[in-house]
Amino acid sequence: MNDNDTTAIVLAAGEGNRLHPLTKNRPKPMLPAAAKPILEHVFDQLIDAGITEIVVVVGYKRERIQSHFGPSYRDVPLTYVTQDKQLGTGHAVLAAEAAVDGTCLVVNGDQIAASRIIRDTLEAHDTAATVALLQRSSVDGYGGVLVDEDRVTTIVEDPPDDREYLLNAGIYVLEPVAFDAIRAAEPRAGERLLVDGLSKLIEWGDVVRGAISEGFWVDATYPWDLLDVSFELFDTGLIDRQSTRNVHETATVHESAVIREPVIVDRDCVIEPGAVVGPNVCLGENTTVGSNAVVERSVVDTDTRIGANATVTECVTGTGVRIGQGSTIPGGPGDVRVADRVFENETLGALLADRVHDHGGVTYVPGTLVGPRTEIQAGTTVRGTLEAGTEVRS
Amino acid sequence: MCGIIGYTGTRRDEALSEVLLNGLSSLEYRGYDSAGVAIANATVSVYKSEGELSELEETLPATTLEGTAGIGHTRWSTHGPPSDTNAHPHTSCNGRVAVVHNGIVENDQELRDALEADGHEFESETDTEVIPHLIETALEQGDEPEAAFRRAISQLEGSYAVSAVVSGHDAVLATRNQSPLVLGVGDDGYFLASDVPAFLEYTDDVVYLEDGQFVSITPSGVEISDEQGDLVDMPVETVDWDIEDAGKSGYDHYMLKEINEQPHALRECLRGRPRELEGSIEIDELEGLERPAHVHFVACGTSYHAALYGARLFREQGIRTNTFLASEYDVDSIPVDETTLVVGVTQSGETADTLRALRAANRIGAETLSVTNVVGCSAARETDYVMYIRAGPEIGVAATKTFASQQVALAMLSRALTGASSSGFIEALRALPDQVQSILDTSHAAAVADEYVDADAYFFIGRGYNAPVALEGALKMKEITYKHAEGFPAGELKHGPLALVTDRTPVFAMLPGDSTAEKMLGNVREVESRGAPIVAVTDVPAQLGSHADHVLEIPDTHELFAPILSNIQLQLVSYWVANRLERSIDKPRNLAKSVTVE
Repeated sequence: MNDNDTTAIVLAAGEGNRLHPLTKNRPKPMLPAAAKPILEHVFDQLIDAGITEIVVVVGYKRERIQSHFGPSYRDVPLTYVTQDKQLGTGHAVLAAEAAVDGTCLVVNGDQIAASRIIRDTLEAHDTAATVALLQRSSVDGYGGVLVDEDRVTTIVEDPPDDREYLLNAGIYVLEPVAFDAIRAAEPRAGERLLVDGLSKLIEWGDVVRGAISEGFWVDATYPWDLLDVSFELFDTGLIDRQSTRNVHETATVHESAVIREPVIVDRDCVIEPGAVVGPNVCLGENTTVGSNAVVERSVVDTDTRIGANATVTECVTGTGVRIGQGSTIPGGPGDVRVADRVFENETLGALLADRVHDHGGVTYVPGTLVGPRTEIQAGTTVRGTLEAGTEVRS
Repeated sequence: MCGIIGYTGTRRDEALSEVLLNGLSSLEYRGYDSAGVAIANATVSVYKSEGELSELEETLPATTLEGTAGIGHTRWSTHGPPSDTNAHPHTSCNGRVAVVHNGIVENDQELRDALEADGHEFESETDTEVIPHLIETALEQGDEPEAAFRRAISQLEGSYAVSAVVSGHDAVLATRNQSPLVLGVGDDGYFLASDVPAFLEYTDDVVYLEDGQFVSITPSGVEISDEQGDLVDMPVETVDWDIEDAGKSGYDHYMLKEINEQPHALRECLRGRPRELEGSIEIDELEGLERPAHVHFVACGTSYHAALYGARLFREQGIRTNTFLASEYDVDSIPVDETTLVVGVTQSGETADTLRALRAANRIGAETLSVTNVVGCSAARETDYVMYIRAGPEIGVAATKTFASQQVALAMLSRALTGASSSGFIEALRALPDQVQSILDTSHAAAVADEYVDADAYFFIGRGYNAPVALEGALKMKEITYKHAEGFPAGELKHGPLALVTDRTPVFAMLPGDSTAEKMLGNVREVESRGAPIVAVTDVPAQLGSHADHVLEIPDTHELFAPILSNIQLQLVSYWVANRLERSIDKPRNLAKSVTVE
């Protein structure tokens, strides 16, 4: 098909519960991957694949998306559609129906897929719907698809059996009839799923094409995945397509500080004397690394200040975090508790949500999760999960 | 204050009227009580109407528009009430000439009397209408259109950007004196407008015309000449504005969009200026500007409140600093000399009152500096120095992000000129974008607005650094809710305004945990005992929250920056009150964004 004037619908309304507490103030697509929001990478790949118009379905904390991107991105106009209640991917696509005309592409705003996968899917499309498929050893936690040649026979969320499913990459090309099918499919527990709409199309006798592709595809499910996502972006060179320099020209690095590639040091960052940054570090805009601090294998978000002599390893921070002088985040592996589940031996030094403030000399046991606006008094040792807005004393 | 547009080129008939209407729609922020267009061919056809642009679009015939040269106007009343007859364009007796005008003709009465004595009949009450009659008179005396236009303009006193078309003539003629006018050079024609966005969707190549220059555009070319009629060569500049920036991007109102853009606006304002490693603040464009002996700030409206704040920071550095309302500066006998730095704070850089004050300062030989948001604006071109606040385009008439950026810019300026930046100051400055974001993430201003949407009046009080924000909070509330609101330095309350305080007048108190806290609490008790509900804006809710009915929290910051943060909460309260009252938030009645008349 001709992809010159295809509109993309980007689903970006969901909160991302499993990434709590980082999603307290923003939706998952706005979490950082290599010093810019995941959603910005998604847009980059869409535009590189030839998309000329983007409809963004927004909901949870939508102001953060709208204010970051405004009315256009890389000269491609953005139209915002609000999904007030998040009642499933099918429901989100239907919210965008009025904003598109004819064939459209649907992608998730929190999964980065290389433009090649998008292009392959657009090129394979010649029926009512096409879905991008990847060959992976496991589809655990994702959608699975069975095909007969290039024709989809079964499409399910989280396959219940061990047949050889292909991974549903969450990239779809839809004809208008697909919207009818989504509407016709029975909601489950109040949610309309896009895949149920595709099953309905198959039931109606329409052909749903499976486009098997390969290339870069990442999704952050849990907080520690944000480290891997950034590191994979380093490895594949998908970082900051417009810039060849990894230290932004408005950042200031003291001559005695050491930068170890690969790193990204974004706009207005300040790196003080004797600090060591890298390898595998992303410093978001306007962050500060104090004298003689050491930062390794970490994703540090906007406006964070790391105090003098601090050690920060395998750490994910939100925005405006203050890690005090001499605090130590020694790195993983550690056991992390998310809701009622404990994940053992994950590579996570600590996760500090937005505006956590530690007053210095704090030691973090690997796997610690700290909720937003938590104040940690000087000299404390912290472990486990600290709830939002609490004050921790030794 | 009005907006004008002119076009001639290969787009003709309906395509021509589309250019004019699109242009006017981008200029609506300059005023919008009436609008009109004129299109010239063998005759001149004029369409105009009272009300917003949509009313005009309805009156335009869909198919019978013919012509290649057109002008348009969106009006904000200065002479005569808004009405169809007072709307521009204005025409001459025989209808051969149509004129649009932004500014004021000061000798209007004198010219009108003379023209009426010669038998000219006037339809409107506007000062503008003398211009087409003067042109007609010159044409009747045998002048060519360009010469007739020149002769008419030479008789005017006052400020103006004027554009005219004449029947049977495919040129659009224009000139300016103390009112903005820019020329757009497109692939398929030429544009004249009060401001660049009017033609930005067609071209980004711009000539900034100077006072006293005349321009004639035809489908085949453009001629710019000076007052004596000699041709001049003017540089064509390319502007890098993004036309899409005019979109609301998912927000119901530009104002809410712009409130939410403040973290980004402040990042841009700060970019590269605080140098934490060196412990200094550097403003590249001010190289060569030394610490002044005296400073006079001149500004109007919201910019005046930013200037009041900035002046306190200058005084704190030991610089004798005063703030003046720009409209009073030239009227008052204010001592100013070569040792004074006169700083004009103006978002648009086209505010007539502020330009006039800066011009007066230039005449006396004072150093002048403009602090503005618009690159290439009149203020920037007419002052010795310019500092840009880099807030990006602001469309909502009520200034929000530009006020925050002005405050931050002036705070930096006070330190850049004195070399006195403590590490605490720089650190706190760099923390501001995230702190503003944290207010936006957590504010419950909408709930406070719900509580007090039916109030009789709103009062705002603050002391010291927070006094200007009390004034700004009240101005914002007035502008967009149309409700009575007043702001005072808190100590003044008991000297009169307290008589207005009742249980139906909520009082918003700026209560930062600084040296003013104790005295502020005294003032809060004064209003509390009169039964007024108290809304405290504070960074120490645990300490001070018990004195208030509602608390709007701000993050802990350097005491100089509390007003920057408090103001964000006040903007949100005003927005949500206006929203509940279903006001025309982006275009409040009787107001315009950029006031280009005195």
